[in-house]
Order: sequence, then structure tokens, then C-alpha cells
Amino acid sequence: MQNSLDPRIRRSDLDSASGFNQVGENENWETFAVFHQDKRGDAHVFVGIVHAPDPELALVFAKEQYGRRKKTVNMWVVRSTDIYTFRHEDEDMFATVPEKNYREASGYPVRKRINKYLHDLEEAHS
Amino acid sequence: MYGNAYIDKNDIRPSTDVDDPVKLEEFEARIARGEKIEPDDWMPAKYRKTLIRMIEQHAHSEIIGALPEGTWITRAPSFKRKLALIAKVQDEVGHGHLLYAAAETLGKSREAMINDLLNGKSKYSNVFNYPAKTWADIAVIGFLVDAGAIVNQLANSKGSYGPYCRALERICYEESFHLKQGYDAFVALAAGTPKQRAMVQDALNRWWFPPLMHFFGPPDDLSVHSEELIRWKVKMMTNEEMRQEFMDQYVPKIWEMGLTLPDPKLRRDETTGKWEYTQPDWDEFFRVINGDGPCNKERLAVRRYAELSGRWVREALKNPKQVHHVPYA
Amino acid sequence: MSEAIKELLYKMGDDALVLGHRNSEWTGLGPILEEDIAFSSLAQDQIGHALALYTLLEKEFAEPDPDRIAFGRDEMQYKCCHFVELPIGEYDFSLMRDFLFDHAEQCRFTSLQGSSFAPLAALAKKIKGELKYHTLHGDLWVTKLGNGTEESHARMQSALNECMRFALGMFEPGEFENELIESGVFIGENALQQEWLAAITPIIEKAGLTMPDLSKIEAEYGGRKGYHTEYLAPMLEEMTEVYRSEEPTAVW
Repeated sequence: MQNSLDPRIRRSDLDSASGFNQVGENENWETFAVFHQDKRGDAHVFVGIVHAPDPELALVFAKEQYGRRKKTVNMWVVRSTDIYTFRHEDEDMFATVPEKNYREASGYPVRKRINKYLHDLEEAHS
Repeated sequence: MYGNAYIDKNDIRPSTDVDDPVKLEEFEARIARGEKIEPDDWMPAKYRKTLIRMIEQHAHSEIIGALPEGTWITRAPSFKRKLALIAKVQDEVGHGHLLYAAAETLGKSREAMINDLLNGKSKYSNVFNYPAKTWADIAVIGFLVDAGAIVNQLANSKGSYGPYCRALERICYEESFHLKQGYDAFVALAAGTPKQRAMVQDALNRWWFPPLMHFFGPPDDLSVHSEELIRWKVKMMTNEEMRQEFMDQYVPKIWEMGLTLPDPKLRRDETTGKWEYTQPDWDEFFRVINGDGPCNKERLAVRRYAELSGRWVREALKNPKQVHHVPYA
Repeated sequence: MSEAIKELLYKMGDDALVLGHRNSEWTGLGPILEEDIAFSSLAQDQIGHALALYTLLEKEFAEPDPDRIAFGRDEMQYKCCHFVELPIGEYDFSLMRDFLFDHAEQCRFTSLQGSSFAPLAALAKKIKGELKYHTLHGDLWVTKLGNGTEESHARMQSALNECMRFALGMFEPGEFENELIESGVFIGENALQQEWLAAITPIIEKAGLTMPDLSKIEAEYGGRKGYHTEYLAPMLEEMTEVYRSEEPTAVW
């Protein structure tokens, strides 16, 4: 394109691609989920996906797409097809969890029990 | 960076798929409670379709947006500007990547979206169909186009679709650097030599009308469809609300530098708090969106060329046994 | 001594600037989004290395500021090798060039970590992580495309063949070679070339590519003395177009 304002484009043979408008299926490869660790001691957190042909290049791509702008000490990539998940419509399976206070420390009012015992004891002696 | 979520009126006809009324009610109740929709949730066909188109157009805008700014990559006049411009264009490509990923969760493959861009079926923001004639255009784009994009993206980041909101949050964070470096380059020129000042004034004149005034799209007529999209938190602000907010924040910054805008009517009405301005030529807006802008041909030709010249790389590492998989998030 | 160190800093800085500039021509036009982003980072890092080296020239030797060094010199004053001046070509050439250059830069900076010129040793330590990533990127791509399809293999082999005489030009000995070696500033271009060959040869083999017969190749020298290919002058003209449109005192 001789009249482009971009010298990079003026150097490119754009006409060679004039009829091209079809990228093939899966030409952008498969996807990998990326997990990012801010600092040692923190958990790896899901931050997004990259398209890559294999895990090694997925890591290289992940580093630049998800690690170039924030502090990073480590990353994981996992093939998207290797992730198993519940469906969000099944979130009712988790609905009663907050009510099951026998699993919570706060579900055990030990101090209250002791105070009652001490109080009862005092009453009995008076 | 991105402008209006341009919605083609011809494309929003009532969906032929009849949505299950019980599920629709649950869906709307979820949004009304302020909960986000995730990719595997049930959603009305029109919600899915509109979001795909919107996010996809946004992604294309980032990828195409890299081209007008890329025009000056090899000519940036100092180390700082050179590094900042490369980093900024890199971020735009990165934003395109994040947005394609968000749209992919709705079931459309990245390849299909790229193809719709290449064959002209899918649109992108008009603003990138205008040329970046001088270095000052880079300052004006970096400052004002990115400012407009932030107004739009901040609004949309409070929308209802989880993956889009997550992508936009990160994008907004990066755009704040774009805006700041653009503002800095803009002020450097405005406070510079007479030649530099003339250069930035000229760029401002060309970018105000029509690209910036077209940026948020025509004032919306509040049709039944847009009411629904607002209820579903797909569209968060009207085009005119965004334009007003943009002018509120940025016109004073331009005037502060003693520069002018090429609209004699432009003023803020102190009683209503609204900006009055000359309506741009909206016919031109539709002409450009349909392919007849100063740079439409070049932009698409460049994308075709980039895709074709990279094809052997992608083909070389393609796994023939792979099947398409929609990412979960 | 300072002339010797200055010469070293200028040639390293010019190599990094010119290659970074060339590589940045791919930004926005790469073969796939992910690689577009990754390659753009390499370009930024390389331009950043040039800035760091020119800053040493300014701080330690009272040379002009980095922008004037980068944008305000004549072609003959540039001391880059011919390799970095060549146009970007297709992606095979750009990748192969970057792979060969990154290994040379990594060998150079690794040896400089022990330099007797402390500011350069400090810079070498600071950027060693960046260089590690650059060679990881290059090694992966060269290995994978070398072992990819018939087309990608052929492209990488011909890129390697095309690159080699220019790549050897990265090690053109300078005027002050002995002085730098004796004073412990730098191990010298000959030793560096040997280290570089030891680093790239196993990767080239792993990529299934054939190393050209080096005994039959004449290295492209001249860049370190200010003699350049036909490509440098137009590149500099483009790079400095805006800078030259005002007095050098102008702020951009």
C-alpha cells in the first residue's frame, strides 16, 4: 500500500493478501487457563486464558499477557480441556453450607457455657 | 480503547427463539439483585447474541486501533515516547486478546470472530478509520480517544456479564496509563515550540470533528430494545450520557492549555449542567461504519496481510486432532 | 581506557537500539495475538537496554544525553553490526535473527557480570532475568518451528543460512580489544563468539536444523567502524523524522 501513512505498511506487500479472508478452524490453537502468583506464599489465582499449541509456549505467552504489567513470581498453565467444573446452576448444592455451624469455631460458645456453670455454682453456694 | 457499543438497529429484531419464561424471570431477578451472569448460566438468546456482537466489536476495535497508532511507532521522537508508544500499542493488542477471550466464553471461536472482521461482517469503532497524519495525532489519540474509551469501559465494567466485566477491569487499569501518557504528550506539545503547538491544534481540529464527536454514537432513541438491554445491564449508559461525561471531564483540560475546539457552539450550560454542541454529520457516521471512511480499506487490508503472513506459523504448530472447546471463564 | 569502554558501550547500545527498533515493527502485526504481545516485549526490553547503556555513557563519560545519542548522530557515528540493520523480512527471519542475537547478548552480559567496570557489571546483573526470558522465547520458537511442518522447517533452515554471515559480524573485534581484555572489562569478541556457538549449537540441533559450515562463511564486518549496509541510513531517517523537525532542545 504505497499511500499508507505508516512506513511499515508501505514496505509490506498488502496486495498479496487481497483475497484472504478465511482463517482455518483451530488455527489459533487450543486454550490454556493461566494461574498467576503475585508473591511467594500467596495462592495461584486464575487470571484468564491464552491460545497456544502446547504448554511450553502457553507459559511464554502467559508471562507476557498476564505478567508484564504486575508483580509476578510464578505462573501455571493448564489445558482448558483438563479443567473439571460444576455448573453454576448447581450452586444450590452449596446453599446450606453457611448454616452448618457445627463446622465453625463460632458454633461452639464454650465461654458462655463456662460462665453459666460458674454462675450456677455461685448461686448454689450462696 | 473503544467507543460506542454500536448497535445496528436492523440486527436487533425480536429473537425467533422463544425463551423459557420461568428461566427468563430467574435470569432477570439475578441481574436485578446485582449478581453477575457466568458463561454456563442460562441466558436469553438475545442477551447472548448482543453480548457476542458487542464484545467482539470491542475486541476488533482494539486490534484495528493498534494500526493508526502503530503508524508512528518507528518515528516516535524520544526514548520515552518510543517505549511508551510500543507499550501502549502492545496493550491494545493485549486488550483485543482479553476481549476475544471474554466473547469466546459465549460460544463463538476466535477464528470465527477474526473471519467476520476480515470479511467485513463485523464492525469496529469508526474512530480508527481516520488517519494519524502527524505525531501530534498520536498525542490526541492517546489523550482523548483513550479518555473516551475509559468513560465507556468504566460504565460497561459494571455490567452483568462476568467475563466481560473482569476483562474490562484490567483494561481500565491499563487505559489509565494510556490516558496519562497521552495527556503528557499532548501537554508537551501544547506547551512546546510554536510549531509543536500548531501541530497539536491542527490534530485537535481534525479529531474533534468527526471522529471524537462520533465516538459514542448517535443520541439513542429509547426503543423497547435498548430498554431491555439496559434492564439486562448490557448497556449501562446512553450514548449521550457518555458524550456529556466525556465533555465534562476533558473539554476544560483542552481549554486550559489555550487550545481551541472547532465548534463555535460548544459551551456548558451552567443551569442545566449540559454541554451544547453542534450535531456532527450522522450520515457520515453510518457511511464510515459501512465501509466508506478514509482508512477502512487500508485497515482491513493490513489485518488480512498480517493474518496471511502469520499463517504458516500457526499452521506449523496446529494439532490436527484438536477439537474446539469453549473456555469456562 | 575510557575510549575503550566508550567504544564497547556505543556498539552494544547501538545494536540493542537498532534491533529493538526493527523488532518493534512487528507490534500489532504479529502472527498471532499472543506472540504479537510477547515479541513486542522483546523490542521494548532491547530499546530499554540501549537506553541503559547510553545512560552510562552520559553519566560516566559525559557524553550527550541518551536521546541525543539515539536520535542526533550521523550514520557513520553508529557502531551497530550489519545484522541488526537488515529489514524485518518475514517472521522466520525476524525470529531467527532475534534468537541468534539474544544468545549473543546473553553471553555478552553474562561475562560482563564480572567486569572490572563496575557500572556495567551492575547493569549486567540487573537485566539477566530479561535475557533469560529472551533466550527461552527464542529457543522454544526455533525448536518448535524447526520440527514443525515441512514448510516451517525449510523456512527456518533458510533463515539460519541467510543469517549466519551477518550473525558472525556481531563479533567483529574492536580497536581496543586487548586493552579491554587485559583490564578485565570484557572477555573479548573471540572468546564471546566461542561461548555463543556453544550456546546456540545444541538448540539448532534440537530444532533439527543444520548448522552452516562456518569455515566457508566470511563474516560481515564493518559496522563497528561506522560502515553500514544500505538499510541503516533510511532506517535512521525514518526513526529521527519527528525529532529532526525541531531543534534538539525541543521537548516532545
